[in-house]
Amino acid sequence: MRSLLNFLLRFKTLILFLILEAVALVMISSSHNYHQYVTFGAARTVSGFFANKLENGRSYFRLKQINQQLVTENQILRRQIEEMRLLPQAEFVTVTDTLRGSGYSYLSATVINNSVNKQKNFITLDRGSRHGVTTGMGVASAEGIAGVIVGVSRNYSVAMSLLNTDFRLSASISRNDYFGSLAWDGKNYRFAQLSEIPHHVAVTPGDTLVSSGYSAIFPEGLVIGTLTGEQKKGGDFVTLQVELSADFKKLTNVYIISNLSRDERDTIEAEVVNE
Amino acid sequence: MNRGLNYIASFVGLILLQLLVFNNIQLSGYVNPYVYVMFILILPLNIPSWILLLISFMTGFVVDLFSGTFGVHTFATVMAGFARPWVLSLNVALEASDPGSSPSSHIGGRRWFMIYAMTVVLVHHLSLFYVEVFSFTGFFRTLLRVMFSTAVTTFFIFIFDLLRPRK
Repeated sequence: MRSLLNFLLRFKTLILFLILEAVALVMISSSHNYHQYVTFGAARTVSGFFANKLENGRSYFRLKQINQQLVTENQILRRQIEEMRLLPQAEFVTVTDTLRGSGYSYLSATVINNSVNKQKNFITLDRGSRHGVTTGMGVASAEGIAGVIVGVSRNYSVAMSLLNTDFRLSASISRNDYFGSLAWDGKNYRFAQLSEIPHHVAVTPGDTLVSSGYSAIFPEGLVIGTLTGEQKKGGDFVTLQVELSADFKKLTNVYIISNLSRDERDTIEAEVVNE
Repeated sequence: MNRGLNYIASFVGLILLQLLVFNNIQLSGYVNPYVYVMFILILPLNIPSWILLLISFMTGFVVDLFSGTFGVHTFATVMAGFARPWVLSLNVALEASDPGSSPSSHIGGRRWFMIYAMTVVLVHHLSLFYVEVFSFTGFFRTLLRVMFSTAVTTFFIFIFDLLRPRK
C-alpha cells in the first residue's frame, strides 16, 4: 500500500498530465456535437459583445467596399425587376396561395466574428433569438452561400461556415442540373469540393454551381461558386474543384434565410422515411 | 501578493490580446500566432510542476471557451506546461538566479530566452494544429503551418518580453 502511494507521489506530475490530457480529449470528441456549442451561451454573449465592439471599429475601414457590394446587388435586383416588367402581362397571374406562403424570408445581419484559418470555422452574427433566428437557417451574402446557423443566443447567433470540414451542402451545376455534395477539404479558403458527380458529366471550367434546393435550407438557384475545371477521379464518381464566389475574408453583410414551409416539409419527409 | 496581481494582469492582458488582435490575424491561412502561450512561459521558475499543469489547463480552457474550440487549446497548453520544466532544466545557469523570478531574457540572456520560448511554443503549436486537423492527411501542410506560426508567435513573445519592466 505504501509503495503504491510512493509510486503515485513520485509520478504525480505525469499522472496529472495524463488525466488533464484525457479531459481535453473528451472535450474535443464531444465538441463534434454542435449543440454543445449552444450550451456555452453565456461565454458567447461575452465574446459576442467584444466582437461586436471590434467589428464596429473595423467596418469603418471597409465602408467603401461594402457600398460597392450593395450597389452591385441593387443593380442586379433592378435588372431583374426590369426583366419581369418586360414579360407579357398575361403571365402575371396572381394566385392567392395561403398554404405555400412566400417560401423564404430574408433577414439582414452583420458578421461580427469570422475566421478562415481553422479547420472548423464559424461565423458569429449580430442577430439572435430576439430577431427570430433559429438553428438550421441558412446564411448567404450577396455573392454566395456562407453557412448554416448552428447556435443561437438572445442577441447573437453562430453559423457553421461553409469553410468547416463538417459542412455539407447539396449543390447542382446550373447548366446541366447534375447535383452532388459540396464540402470543404480544409486547405484553401477560396476553394471547396463538389463530390459524387458521375464520370460522364461534361464539365466546362466556369460553369456556375448553385444550391439545389434539396436541403430545404437554401432556396434553389443561390450561387455558390464556379467550377475551375480541376477534377479528381475516385471510384465511380469525380470530385470537382469549386472556386467560391463569396470571399470569406471580406464577409460583412449577410442575409439569414428562413424557409417558411420548412417544418411542413421536414414532417412529411420524416414520416415517409420512418415507414 | 503584488506578484500575484502582476500575473493576473498579464493573464487577462495576454488573453484579451489573443482574442481581440491575434485571432484576427489570418495571413494566407498559414500563420496563426498564439501569443497567449507566453503566460505559461513567464510563470515563476520555482512553480511546482503540478500547479503549472493546472494553470496551463485553465489557460487553454479559457481560450477554448471564447473561441468555440472545445479542448483543442486545452490539450495544447497542458502539453506546453508539461514540456516547460524539461526545457528549463536544460539551462543550469538559471539556478544562480532567484528561484521566484520569472523566466525572461533579463535573467537568462536573449539567446537563451529565444530558444526556450521557441521550444515550448513549438510543442504547443504542434499539438494544437495536429489535434485541430485531427488527422495526418495533409501532414506536411500542417507542419508548414506549425513552422510559420511558431516563428511568428516566438517573434511576438520575444518583443513582449523586451517590453517587460526590468526588475
